[in-house]
Amino acid sequence: MDDNDIQVFINGVRRYFDSIKRDVRVVIEPPFIKDEDKPFLEYTGIIGISGKAHGAVCFTANGVMLENILRFLNETPINRDVICDLVGEIANTLSGNAREEFGRDFLISVPIVSTGQNVRFQFPSDSRNYVIPIIWQAEKAFLLVCIKQDTR
Amino acid sequence: MKLLIVDDSSVVRRAIERDLESGEITEVDQAATGQDAVRLYSAKRHDVVTLDITMPGMDGLTCLDKIVEINPEARVLIISALRDKATAIDAIKRGASGFLCKPINPSELKEAFKLLIED
Repeated sequence: MDDNDIQVFINGVRRYFDSIKRDVRVVIEPPFIKDEDKPFLEYTGIIGISGKAHGAVCFTANGVMLENILRFLNETPINRDVICDLVGEIANTLSGNAREEFGRDFLISVPIVSTGQNVRFQFPSDSRNYVIPIIWQAEKAFLLVCIKQDTR
Repeated sequence: MKLLIVDDSSVVRRAIERDLESGEITEVDQAATGQDAVRLYSAKRHDVVTLDITMPGMDGLTCLDKIVEINPEARVLIISALRDKATAIDAIKRGASGFLCKPINPSELKEAFKLLIED
């Protein structure tokens, strides 16, 4: 992964939040690398990556942000199941959109949703963990990109 | 007009239903899996199907094959996060009538649906 690859995910984040409501601006802070203690928030959608790359893409956010998104989508009632569904769908959208750049062999799994800080997922130990901080309506979320491109 | 919405996300299914709400649609069914979609389509032959690709169990492209097998004239609009041209071309070759990328833009969805039912 390099800066150009991370830009693909940043573009996807911007596209996703613009689609919710264009006049509510999303702020994407400079990405950083954090290999230990991944910054998981209340809800995390995880997409396993295989094929030409392996690893995972995770979208993690607190309930408040996800509830706000659901309100913009006119979703009712808002409950834990719907919030989990949404966080998985956001992770799916951001990962799937990356195929625009990485191509069809960038295979994505269906979402796995985890709640709380103890996320049980076997992240690859041999890849860097890029964190993209996202601020939307004064709430913070992170997109974690933990991918190693296969050289085989 | 009968509409079948297939997506493993209930949030997405309901958003599509809200976006497409109109007098033309008299009946809406939803399916969260490819298997359920094939079963429902087989029984009711919906006029339009919106179909996700990445789903647990049977994926959307396999589901598309089965729907087209039941009815080669089926009108299927793929709505997927997979934003690569190869997948879109493959879906069209396999019988899809259109391909939209997520995140869903309601205006684009309405326009695609309109074109589909006018076809």
